[in-house]
Amino acid sequence: MQPFAFVHADSVDDALATGGRDGARYIAGGTTLVDLMRLEVMRPRSIVDITGLPLTAIEDMRGGVRIGALATNTGVAYHPLITTRFPALVEALLSGASPQLRNMATVGGNLLQRTRCPYFRDGVSPCNKRAPGSGCAALDGYTRSHAVLGTSGRCIATHPSDMCVALVALDATVHTRGPSGVRAIPIGDFHTLPGDHPEIESALLPGELVTHVELPASAFAARSRYTKVRDRASFSFALASCAVALDLRGTAIRDARIALGGIATKPWRAREAERWLLGRATTTDNFRRAAAIALEGASPRPDNAFKVELARRTIVRALQRGAS
Amino acid sequence: MTATPPTPAAPAGKSPSPAAPNAPVASNAPAPNSAAPAAPSGPRAIGMPIERIDARAKLTGTAIYAAETPVANVAHAVIVGSTAARGRLRSVDTDAARRQPGVLAVLAPGAVPKLPAAPTSGTGNPADRVLQLLQDDKIWYADQPIAVVVADTLERAQHAAALVTAAYDSTPPVAEIDAALGEAYTPEKLAPFGEPATTRGDFDAGLAAAHARITATYTTPVENHNPMEPHATIAVWHGDTKLTLYDATQGIFGVRNKIAKVFGLEPTDVRVIDHYVGGGFGCKGTPWSHVALAALAARAVGRPVKLVVTRPQMFALVGHRPKTVQTLTLGADAAGKLTAIRHTVVSETSRFDQFVEPSALQTRHLYSCPNVITTHQLVKLDIPTPTFQRAPGESTGTYALESAMDELAYALRIDPLELRIRNHSVRDEQDDKPYSSNALLACYQRGAARFGWSRRTASPGSMRDRGTRIGWGMATATYPARMSPSSAIARMRPDGILLVQAGTQDIGTGTYTIMTQIAADAMGIPIEQVRFELGDTAFPETPVSGGSQTAASTGTAVKLAVDKLRDQLIALRQSPDEPWAHVVARSGRPELTAEHKTDKRPDTHSYHSHGATFAEVRIDPDTGEIRVARVVAVYAAGTILNPRTALSQLEGGIVWGIGMALQEHTVRDRRTGRAVTRDLADYHIPVHADIPELDVSFVEEPDPFVNPLGIKGIGELGITGVTAAIANAVYHATGKRVRDLPITLDKLL
Amino acid sequence: MSESFVSGPSVGSAAPDLVVPGLERRVSHAEPRVLAFVRDGKLTEPVTELPTIRAELRGLGAELVVVSPGGVWSVRADDPLEPLAAASAELAAEVSDAAQRYGVTHDEDAVFVIDGRGVVRFNHRLERRGRALWATLTDALTIAGRAAHMREGHDARQRVLFTRREWTVTCLVVGCATAFLSACKEQEHRPADRRSPPAEPAPPDVEVMLRINGTVHRLTIDPRTSLLDALRERLGMTGTKKGCDGGQCGACTVLIDGKRVVSCLTLAAMVGDRDITTIEGLARDGALHPVQRAFVEHDGLQCGYCTPGQIMSAVALIREGHATSDDEVREQMSGNLCRCGAYPNIIAAIQAARRTRG
Ligand SMILES: Cc1cc2nc3c(=O)[nH]c(=O)nc-3n(C[C@H](O)[C@H](O)[C@H](O)COP(=O)(O)OP(=O)(O)OC[C@H]3O[C@@H](n4cnc5c(N)ncnc54)[C@H](O)[C@@H]3O)c2cc1C
Ligand code: SF4
Ligand code: FES
Ligand code: FES
Repeated sequence: MQPFAFVHADSVDDALATGGRDGARYIAGGTTLVDLMRLEVMRPRSIVDITGLPLTAIEDMRGGVRIGALATNTGVAYHPLITTRFPALVEALLSGASPQLRNMATVGGNLLQRTRCPYFRDGVSPCNKRAPGSGCAALDGYTRSHAVLGTSGRCIATHPSDMCVALVALDATVHTRGPSGVRAIPIGDFHTLPGDHPEIESALLPGELVTHVELPASAFAARSRYTKVRDRASFSFALASCAVALDLRGTAIRDARIALGGIATKPWRAREAERWLLGRATTTDNFRRAAAIALEGASPRPDNAFKVELARRTIVRALQRGAS
Repeated sequence: MTATPPTPAAPAGKSPSPAAPNAPVASNAPAPNSAAPAAPSGPRAIGMPIERIDARAKLTGTAIYAAETPVANVAHAVIVGSTAARGRLRSVDTDAARRQPGVLAVLAPGAVPKLPAAPTSGTGNPADRVLQLLQDDKIWYADQPIAVVVADTLERAQHAAALVTAAYDSTPPVAEIDAALGEAYTPEKLAPFGEPATTRGDFDAGLAAAHARITATYTTPVENHNPMEPHATIAVWHGDTKLTLYDATQGIFGVRNKIAKVFGLEPTDVRVIDHYVGGGFGCKGTPWSHVALAALAARAVGRPVKLVVTRPQMFALVGHRPKTVQTLTLGADAAGKLTAIRHTVVSETSRFDQFVEPSALQTRHLYSCPNVITTHQLVKLDIPTPTFQRAPGESTGTYALESAMDELAYALRIDPLELRIRNHSVRDEQDDKPYSSNALLACYQRGAARFGWSRRTASPGSMRDRGTRIGWGMATATYPARMSPSSAIARMRPDGILLVQAGTQDIGTGTYTIMTQIAADAMGIPIEQVRFELGDTAFPETPVSGGSQTAASTGTAVKLAVDKLRDQLIALRQSPDEPWAHVVARSGRPELTAEHKTDKRPDTHSYHSHGATFAEVRIDPDTGEIRVARVVAVYAAGTILNPRTALSQLEGGIVWGIGMALQEHTVRDRRTGRAVTRDLADYHIPVHADIPELDVSFVEEPDPFVNPLGIKGIGELGITGVTAAIANAVYHATGKRVRDLPITLDKLL
Repeated sequence: MSESFVSGPSVGSAAPDLVVPGLERRVSHAEPRVLAFVRDGKLTEPVTELPTIRAELRGLGAELVVVSPGGVWSVRADDPLEPLAAASAELAAEVSDAAQRYGVTHDEDAVFVIDGRGVVRFNHRLERRGRALWATLTDALTIAGRAAHMREGHDARQRVLFTRREWTVTCLVVGCATAFLSACKEQEHRPADRRSPPAEPAPPDVEVMLRINGTVHRLTIDPRTSLLDALRERLGMTGTKKGCDGGQCGACTVLIDGKRVVSCLTLAAMVGDRDITTIEGLARDGALHPVQRAFVEHDGLQCGYCTPGQIMSAVALIREGHATSDDEVREQMSGNLCRCGAYPNIIAAIQAARRTRG
């Protein structure tokens, strides 16, 4: 771990003042940052402890919810406002990491967690994300954990979050404060595709602070589900996951949200598949078709080719669960 | 009978007498009464489910593992690994590291004293491995140590280590066995397991005469042991020629001898201490480079040094289970009787040393068959040297053999269990010796009953629970009942406490507990009056805690040492009911002692443990997710000294078998030879949620030949067989025969 | 720094022979030795100080030999205390002779550190001022340990001579000197033709107060220090284990304000005034916590290395109350890996403990 100055922020303004400095990073639960700092993958010169800031509340907001950036994953997963209104978020959070990590991990940190690409984490392989311009060791490497959607010739790293996949299906908005004021960023725009700059992972500007996330009231939130497929029964990242939210009238689909995890470079929204489902019945055949649409354009590599089919099946399973 | 007189000390009664004469640091050995057994210890302790003597120390955090030994002013060392896997080190740049505050030294080739005896090419003798000790510029494998940074704090050492860079003259490595199968060669020895190849009868004729034949190739991946306690060494020099190592090891004497050799010291000048070992499974069986590097670093900075191997480094620096490619050909007559078996094994090794995964050993004797060929070959790769990993050979070997038996059963349309019963071997046909005992048939019977095997429908895919596919599979478990010479000393003290000491280790197997039981019974006293100490080369010499031999080897030495002491006490006793404490008090000596060293066991029999394993898997038909729903396993393993700790070990072995079947796989990058799955998030071992309730039991198996107590050893038996049982169950559920471990869901899609 | 007032062998000179009963056979292998001459007519065993003495002896790589008219004792880091000779008229005479050769008068206590080559590396006259023998010796060892890190060839600093009053001051001096000398050593090690850039300045340490199991510990630490390393490397609380240092195994699980967390990814500087509970704080007055008891009964451990983490996690799980069925408990315990595979027994133990709690 590179030496750093440790700063404790007493207020949001205080945080913004210090967090905006060159080489500064906020620290919340620390489960991504401390890990990557110890691996020398992230080397901030100062870290700003934001855990003392009053950003932990989970509050009702006209039938939706407003979740403070420092609310812990556990706190959110068991909060009555969430358990009664947003089952997919509960399932996603509880399928992630371990109870210990969920007690530490915050909503803000989870949004900004970084890929588990082993070449990114090993500190020495060529990696455009860790060392821009150095190349991408994964392209011809071992890619079981890598993405098949949203990849670029420079990076194929998966965004590993479970929570974010549920947030995408639930139309969340990320609220921030930065040197230039407050912003509300739709979740779909919050994470960015790797493109030519895999080192840039979100729309967040340097020094900008996530203050809270809003989940709107919606007709589909109550019928939302998260399905995660992985190599162990618990405590492992998704090989493929799918959050669905459905608004049904009888067996007809009035509105649908489908988001994918474990297979894409950002929490992935399958808009085409959603659109195709509108007005159609909740049959397995229709679900299969939607799943096929969702994976159109996938660009697999030898080790992760199975994910295309696995993701399709996961989508079907998720839709079946949502519809039942 | 030679009873050693007590060591001369101060005149008794005059000087203050310390609590435990000749004991190691008392605070770190479990206290005699700490177990406070809830189970009655009764007149006989052997066979009773005595609670683990060391449980309390471990449960309260007071047990001190190697790296936790309090050492004032200890400096911290961190190994820097090579990024190249093959070639030469051109230069190492240590400037940035040395600029870091608190850095005491950076060791790198060229700036390290030449060691007197570090072999550079190996013969496969695990006791004398070739280590990488910064002696030259040769690069053999990725992550090989190229520098060691020593600093006053761990944080400083870690960061400084990250600042060391190196330049190489390197060529791309060959790190995959598949790329080099053509270069396979037959090693001279199967060290330490005997001959690499055997032939019995006429294989070709046997195969030609067969009614059904199958041939299949099975591959098992590279695996890493990953004990929860990382390897760690604290090195303390006492002047220039005496060294104490607090080392996380399964074999303190092996470490002592090897390090003494490397540094040109007398073995008696090196003391190795390890009172608690946080798991070993083979990778702590012999010392690796880091142990010597810690000693080297301590000498360089003139200060004790602590070196803890990081979890990612454990994928390169401390051995692994080699990948194997095994081809089995089986032939059988219409009744299912085997007429021919051929088992060929190719496994990987390093370019500078040899290790053979002896996967065909069990095939030589497990089933009755007149015509058997087994071979073992090696392929040299640009990788670190593999090593023993829980049931080396039998784990990978029973997977292949028992999968092939399942395939043969389907080819013959005979129930897989029935096929095994028909081929049961009553005598070791390879060595032409009787088994010292063999209750395998009883295991089959009991296991099948407990599992409900008779309700199985044979055809693949025929069993379902709603949508879920169900598969039932079984396999035979087997592991040799090994034994090595060992020794122990027994001391009866004036307070009536029997103190027994032997160098041995407790790697979680229950050594503290079972030795206490054995000693208590031999002396005829309750276990509360016995205290057993281990983990110190100052005690009598014992073998490595590997090969499931500790209970048999050291258990026998303990029994015989205490027997000797008891005879001596009886001879001195004035009346049959005189307490031992009185006898000692009257003797005028501080204690009465007897030491015993056991000899090699005679080769009159073939010594093996056995078992039958049955598994049920449930498979999601869409996603291919496999869950083991239940395992029934029944073992015949001689005397069960302590059912409580024995069951734990066997269950642990089954958990390993589940991991091996479904999860474990160290992936190396084809281009760099470096492990890609280099942490416990990417290298999957089972978690709680993967493991169902396990039904493990024993059948009685008295064995008058194996050793005086009839002990066979159980540490590794549990991982054998079960992997194949699961693979066979997967086939039964899906009709898909996955011959390449681990069986991950993508292979079923 | 004051002049030596031990009139015997000075630092850097050869140590006089030491011939006292019981010791001859131990003079071997050029092992460093801490020689303590004490006046005590009767030696009693150290109780509370022994672990520290052992740790210091390991740090010095030395054996401690206590020589007194009341007996000669050997204390070695990993052996039981060994009386080498008992009190007798003969012994008293020999001890007095030996002391004389070391320039120690009969009303003085003094400590000498003699290296493997028989050279005196440190000497120090003990000022007991009513304190018990072992406590004084422990302090002397601690100072000797720090002084030992100074390299040869720096005469001025090598002669570290203390009086009781100067101890605190000298500790500080020794601290600085050690830092300075390691910097010198740094220079020495470097080949002459290479420029040697100055050591980079370290960012300032931070002061933390950790409340662990109800006791407050003040520490000045590198901000990089994890709670886990603060416990294990700084406070000697090694019950909490390190298995991966990356949140992947759960061996380092502790409770912070009653919630289970992994201490390897927790910076010590961020804990603040929250309550930390570790495995060492679970048993009360020697009585095991019900979860610990259940682990013994159900043999929920083998090598024991994952065990403290499993137990802390289980204690929290029961308190959380989200898991009741076996499968739920398995799921909620999945952050704690056990390579020995004690899983079935751990689940049985937790369920037993949970039920008895009601
Ligand atoms: C072993 C392991 C297994 C895991 N498994 C899973 C899994 O299965 N599924 C899953 O989804 N996740 C998993 N995780 C990831 C975990 O969920 C994230 O590490 C966690 O959510 C990050 O939150 P944090 O508060 O700890 O972030 P931190 O580490 O504190 O911060 C992460 C990043 O976010 C920034 N940041 C934090 N808060 C703010 C804010 N308010 N405003 C601006 N920037 C901010 C920090 O500067 C930093 O760059 C796993 C992690 C580990 C270590
Ligand atoms: S996939 Fe992305 S993160 Fe991984 S090595 Fe390539 S650039 Fe780096
Ligand atoms: S050491 Fe903290 S989780 Fe492994
Ligand atoms: S008891 Fe050894 S790792 Fe769990």
